[in-house]
Amino acid sequence: MVTPMISFDFGQYMPPMLRGAGVTILLVVVSGIAGTIIGLVFGTARSAPLAPVRWLASIYTNFIRGIPILIILLFLYYEIPLLFPYATFSQTITAVIGLSVYSGAYIAEIFRGSIQAVPRGQLEAGEALGLNYVQKMRYVVMPQALKIAVPPGIGFLIALVKATSLVSVITATDLTRAGRNITSANHQALATFLVVAALYFVISYPLSLLGRWYERRLA
Amino acid sequence: MSRTHDLGPAMIKVDDLHKSFGDLEVLKGIEAEVDEREVVCLIGASGSGKSTLLRCLNRLETFDRGHVTICGHDLTGSKTSLHAVRRDVGMVFQSFNVFPHMKVLDNLTLAPMKVLKIGKAEARQRAMALLEKVGVADKANVYPTKLSGGQQQRVAIARALAMQPKVMLFDEPTSALDPETVGEVLGVMKNLAEEGMTMMVVTHEMGFAREVADRVVFMDNGVVVEQGPPKQIFEAPQHERTRAFLSKIL
Amino acid sequence: MTINFAAVLPYLPVMLKGLGISLEVTVLGFLIGSVLGIFVYLGRRSAFAPLRWLGYAFVEVFRNTPLLVQLYLIYFGLPQVGINLDPFWSTLAGMTLNNAAYTSEIFRAGIESVPNGLVEAAGALGMRYLQTFRFIVLKPAVRNVLPALTNQFIVLFLFSSVGSVISLNELTSALKDLNQRTLRTLEIFTIGGLLYYLASAVIAGSSRLAERYLFRW
Repeated sequence: MVTPMISFDFGQYMPPMLRGAGVTILLVVVSGIAGTIIGLVFGTARSAPLAPVRWLASIYTNFIRGIPILIILLFLYYEIPLLFPYATFSQTITAVIGLSVYSGAYIAEIFRGSIQAVPRGQLEAGEALGLNYVQKMRYVVMPQALKIAVPPGIGFLIALVKATSLVSVITATDLTRAGRNITSANHQALATFLVVAALYFVISYPLSLLGRWYERRLA
Repeated sequence: MSRTHDLGPAMIKVDDLHKSFGDLEVLKGIEAEVDEREVVCLIGASGSGKSTLLRCLNRLETFDRGHVTICGHDLTGSKTSLHAVRRDVGMVFQSFNVFPHMKVLDNLTLAPMKVLKIGKAEARQRAMALLEKVGVADKANVYPTKLSGGQQQRVAIARALAMQPKVMLFDEPTSALDPETVGEVLGVMKNLAEEGMTMMVVTHEMGFAREVADRVVFMDNGVVVEQGPPKQIFEAPQHERTRAFLSKIL
Repeated sequence: MTINFAAVLPYLPVMLKGLGISLEVTVLGFLIGSVLGIFVYLGRRSAFAPLRWLGYAFVEVFRNTPLLVQLYLIYFGLPQVGINLDPFWSTLAGMTLNNAAYTSEIFRAGIESVPNGLVEAAGALGMRYLQTFRFIVLKPAVRNVLPALTNQFIVLFLFSSVGSVISLNELTSALKDLNQRTLRTLEIFTIGGLLYYLASAVIAGSSRLAERYLFRW
C-alpha cells in the first residue's frame, strides 16, 4: 500500500485561492446590498394595507424560499443564453442576479417579522398623534424594525457566504471554483479543500461572533 | 374640586353605542356626554368595556352601531377625516408607548412638525415649555429608556399636549406604574384638570376620581350602571352593582 | 422560443424518482443527524472541558463552512486516505454532520427555553431530576423546538440539491439531465421548482397540523 502524500504548495496556490476568496466577498457584498434593497421593498409590501400588494410580495418571498438556491442559479445559467443568444458575459453577473433574488426573498421575510415585532402600542401612539401611514412607517416603525432585524440579518449574511459556494457550479470563479481548479492541477483534494474550508471559516466566523455580541447587547 | 372655569357646551356625545369583538358584545348601548372643561372618570371592573369605550372615541376601535360626536367630528360618518379627529383628541396609554428610538424632546416635536406643519424652532419651544410643566425638562435630551415609568408617562402626557388637543383621553394611565411614581403622574393630571382641560379618564385610582372628577361613571358588563358627582357615587351609591364593586376595592 | 409545458410532462416520472432520492437522503440525514446532534449537545454540557470544546468546535466548523465544500472533502478528499464513499453515502455523510451541528443548537435552545421557575417549582414539590425532566421539561421543550426542527428539515431538503454536484441522482441532477436532452429550460426548471416548493409546503403544513394535534395547550 502506498502512503498517500498529502501536501499543499501554499506559495503556488494561495494567490489564486485568495483571488477566489475576493470574488466570494464581492459576491456577498453586492448581493447583500441588492438583496437588502429588494428585501426592504418586498418586506414592507408584505405588511402593506393593500391586499393585492401583500399577496404579490408573499408569492415572491414564499416561492424563492421554498426552492434550492442551486435551482435559481442553474435556471439563470441555462436560460439567460437562450434569451440573449448573442451576448457574452461573465458568469459572475449571473451569480449576482441569482444571489440577489435569493437574498431579497429571505431579507424580505426578516423585515416582515421585524415590522411585526414592533409593539402595537407604538403604532397606536403614532395614530393617536395624527400621523398618516407613511409618517408612521418612516418615523415610528422602520427605525425600530431595522434594529430588530440586525441579528437575523447577520444570521442570513452567514448563510449567504455559504450559498455563494454554489456559484462555482455555474463556473463563476469564486473560492470554491478556485479550489476545484487547483485540485485538478495538484490532485490534492483533501489538502486543497481544507484550505478552502479554512478560508470560508475565516470569513464567516467573525460574523457569527458579531451576531451573538449584538444579540447580547439587545437583550 | 377648585376650578377656575365653569363647564361649557358638550364636547363628547355618545349615543346608543354598540361594539362586539366577534361573538362577545362588549358595549351594549352606551349613552354618555362630556361637556367642555368637564373631567369624567370611568370606573369599573376589568372587562366592563371602559377602555373599549375610550378607544372608540378616537377611533382606535371601530364601533358597530350608534353615534359618536367628538369636538364637532361625527365619527359615524365614513367621510370623517381621522387625522382631523386625532389632532383635536389627545390620548395617553397604560403602557406609555413613548418612542424609544428618539430623545424625549424629539418625541414631542415629531407630530407637531409633521402633522401640524409647525416649524422646528416653534415646535421645540412648545415642547420645552410642556416638559417644564410636567416636570421633566432636564431630561429633554435623554432617551426614554433611561427614565422611570412615571417620568416616561409624564413625557407621554406632554407629547399628547404638544398637539394642543381640545380633549384628553387617559386609558388607565397609572396602572403600569410603581406605587411611588403614581403620585407624580396624578399630580400632572390634576393640574391639567384645574387649568380647564376636558378629560375622560379610565382609572382604578379612586382617590383621584374622588378629588378631581366632576362626574364619575360606573360601568359594568358593557353598560353604564350609574353616574353622578363623586360624592354621590362613593358615599351614596344607588345601585347594588355599584355598591358591590366599591365594597370590593375600597 | 416556444413555451410548451405539455412536452415536458412525460418526463415527470423521472423527476419524481429524483425527488424520491432527495427525500430519502434528507430523511436519513435528518434522523441520524438529530441523534448525533443530541450527543453533541450533551457533550457541550459535560463537565469534561475538552469534550465541551470539541462540541463547540464541531458546531462552529460545520455552521461556518459551506455544505458543498464539506461534500467535496468527503467525496474527493477522503479517497486520498483510503475512504471511498459513493455519491449517495458521501451526500448522506455530509448532510448528517451538518444536521448534527444545527440540531444540537436547536435542542439547546429548546431545553433552555423551559422557564427555570417550572423546574424550581417541581423541585420544591419533591420531584427528582429525572422525573422533572420527563414530565415538566421534555414536552414543552419538544413543542418549542418543533417549528425550528421542521424548518431545519426543509432547509436540509433544499440542501440535498447540492448532492447533484457530486453526481447524486436526485431531483436537481434529473433536471440538469432533462434540460440537456430537451432544451426546454423554462418548463423543466419551473416544474422542478414547483416540486421542491410543494414538497416543502406539504412538510411545513403537516408539521403545523401535528403541532396543533399533539400540543393542545
